[in-house]
Amino acid sequence: MKPRILIVDDSLTVRMDLGEAFDLAGFMNTLCSSLSEAREVLLTGSFDLIILDVLLPDGDGIKFLQEIRTTPSTAGTPVMLLSSEAEVRDRVRGLNTGADDYVGKPYDQSYVVARARELLRKQKPASGSATSKTVLVIDDSPTFREELKSVLESSGYLVVTAGTGEDGLRAAVDTRPAVIVVDGMLPGIDGSTVIRRIRADAVLRSTPCILLTASEERSGELRALEAGADAYVRKEEDTQIILARVTAVLRSAGAPSTVASTSSLLGPKRILTVDDSLTYLHEVAAQLRDEGYDVVPARSGEEALELLSVQTVDCILLDLVMPGLSGQETCRRIKGSVAWRDIPLIMHTALEEQDSMIEGINAGADDYIAKSSDHEVLCARVRAQLRRKQFEDENRNIREQLLQKELEVVAANSARELAETRAAFVEELERKNSELEAFSYSVSHDLRAPLRSIDGFSQLLLQDNADKLAPKSQDYLRRVCEAARRMGELIDDLLSLSRVGRADLRRESVDLSSIARAAFEELQKKDPDRRVNLRVAEHLPAEADNGLMRVVFDNLLGNAWKFSAKVSEPRIEVGTDQQQGGTVFFVRDNGAGFDMSYAESLFRPFQRLHNESEFAGTGIGLATVHRVIDRHGGRIWASSAVGQGATFYFTVPPARPGGHQ
Amino acid sequence: MIRNRVILLVEDNPNDVELTLRAFEKSNVSNEIVVAGDGEQAIHYLFKTGPHAGRDPKDMPEVVLLDMKLPKLDGLGVLRRIRADERTRRLPVVILTSSKEEKDVMSCYDFGANSFVRKPVDFGQFVDAARHLGIYWLVMNEPPPPGQQNGDGR
Repeated sequence: MKPRILIVDDSLTVRMDLGEAFDLAGFMNTLCSSLSEAREVLLTGSFDLIILDVLLPDGDGIKFLQEIRTTPSTAGTPVMLLSSEAEVRDRVRGLNTGADDYVGKPYDQSYVVARARELLRKQKPASGSATSKTVLVIDDSPTFREELKSVLESSGYLVVTAGTGEDGLRAAVDTRPAVIVVDGMLPGIDGSTVIRRIRADAVLRSTPCILLTASEERSGELRALEAGADAYVRKEEDTQIILARVTAVLRSAGAPSTVASTSSLLGPKRILTVDDSLTYLHEVAAQLRDEGYDVVPARSGEEALELLSVQTVDCILLDLVMPGLSGQETCRRIKGSVAWRDIPLIMHTALEEQDSMIEGINAGADDYIAKSSDHEVLCARVRAQLRRKQFEDENRNIREQLLQKELEVVAANSARELAETRAAFVEELERKNSELEAFSYSVSHDLRAPLRSIDGFSQLLLQDNADKLAPKSQDYLRRVCEAARRMGELIDDLLSLSRVGRADLRRESVDLSSIARAAFEELQKKDPDRRVNLRVAEHLPAEADNGLMRVVFDNLLGNAWKFSAKVSEPRIEVGTDQQQGGTVFFVRDNGAGFDMSYAESLFRPFQRLHNESEFAGTGIGLATVHRVIDRHGGRIWASSAVGQGATFYFTVPPARPGGHQ
Repeated sequence: MIRNRVILLVEDNPNDVELTLRAFEKSNVSNEIVVAGDGEQAIHYLFKTGPHAGRDPKDMPEVVLLDMKLPKLDGLGVLRRIRADERTRRLPVVILTSSKEEKDVMSCYDFGANSFVRKPVDFGQFVDAARHLGIYWLVMNEPPPPGQQNGDGR
């Protein structure tokens, strides 16, 4: 479908001129002479691009632009402002209001069309299939162009034509054809030159080119191949042959890779000229416009800097001597800015003195030119700077791509190393874990069997030979039995500690109050004659592993039970406190208590604060409790004094989402 | 009345064999206790093969006391063979072992053990356990009918 374009300008000449240009370029035009007309048109139709004059009889184009930007249906439509306003202020205002481009009058027709195409391309990135079938035909004979066009179109190609080499190059940039067919004999630059230029352009260089040659011109063929043509066809051959060649070339070309970020050297270029003399500004602008450049004039260094902040340019032509901000200072500021320092800058000066030129170069200018120079020289210098910039961009692109590749390789390597290291850790951990599991399994089985024999045969000796054994011997045998039983307990407690560390933590809503009661009942069952006053707070909710919390209360209540054995009215209390802004559970007894100076070692395995003969125990229980609380992400601590009972506090914070347990 | 068929004890550790025999003796269980020193011997005994060929096929033990760690064929292997055979699949099997590791307890029940008892270190407790086992399996428990057990009931 043809792109639709709305042109709003009060000048009939401009409407006619641009209308014709866009018509030829394959656009569908709607022309309006006033804002009211444009408003009406926008209500009913939609457009791919709007070209808007700034000064209109019924209002301000920039105000209208504001309307366009704030109306949802047109907010995203690209707008190109077109104005004769030499004032930088208007340009800045327009671009700040949301114009996508600003082209000064007098304009270059093809420049406007080229900018329009660029804006449309930015708007919707060209899809591969649409562009891959475009063929550009460059030939000066309209008859031949039409003939070839109809042949190619009947085979499903989109065809763009151009009558001269220069137009052809411009069309190549605009349409990015899949293949170019160019006549060797052209007015102006010839076919080989066109191909050579295509090959020198970063964006277009991989485009296949077919050169049409006259049969009598043998050297033309050589020149074509030297220039880099992919194929040539004699012109007197049937157009069907050309079609076959196009198809063959396209088939073998594969997918051309283009560096999108590098703008084409042949594309439209914008030049900022800065001079305090209006006369001179006009003169230079006219010269550069003749070359097809868009010229942005600025009257001072301040204006130039203001403009650069809203619109990028491809080259800067800067007067050295100006009131206000001098050329040198302007140059220094431009070259000191990261965003602008790569823009080629040419110092322009009326002074012939060497000193001033050196000063300019010192300020960072890329080149200098005397105002007295011929305008051909000026244009050549501009071209040279643009070309240099182009090569720099390409080189930078290549460097960046290489760097990017290197970075990717490095990143991939380190990611792989990290994954490998992690896998090795996990493997090591799993190995250790299964070793530990195997170890505790064999402890559980094999270490107990000999103890059974020690205890069993000692008891049998005692029972079978009670009358023959001296009382001392009987006492020794009892000690042997006691030691074996104690070792059995140690093994069991160690296995429990190790199991608590390895077991999966399954959090659920549990009532610590009922767990505590169940643990207490167990203690009472083992020692039914003891009377202990137990007080458990009703409903103590926690998000915790049920089995592991039972281990906690078995041990804490077991300790409280044990250490309160020697007081006259033993009491055990289970409840909660609010401490440090959170809920803290506690188990309290009024038993023997302990010296707080040993509190630190309380939770270490095998650490005991009481004499074995006073209170039996393995010293593993609190270490087990500590490990359970730790695995829940909580804390455990105690407070006590000798003879005044002990209180064990612990917290069970809710699971952290995604946290490892 | 205590039924007087044999008890099969599958145990490789002679000390444990001796202690078990004494524990049953002390708890007044007078049934004959046949000892198999490894899993293979137990299988020979139960299926009347090898050294036990020609044994009266109707003479099945009242209960099998089975250790888990055994040379050759281990306890779980023996249990699997017992449960896989039509003649023995209803035979009461009590696992009598050192460990009470959760995975051991679970796999024994999964393979069809009737009971799981851990041998205590304390001999006094062991005698208690033997007495309870005797009362339960030789008096309280109703064994599967012998005909069914031998697989000739249909």
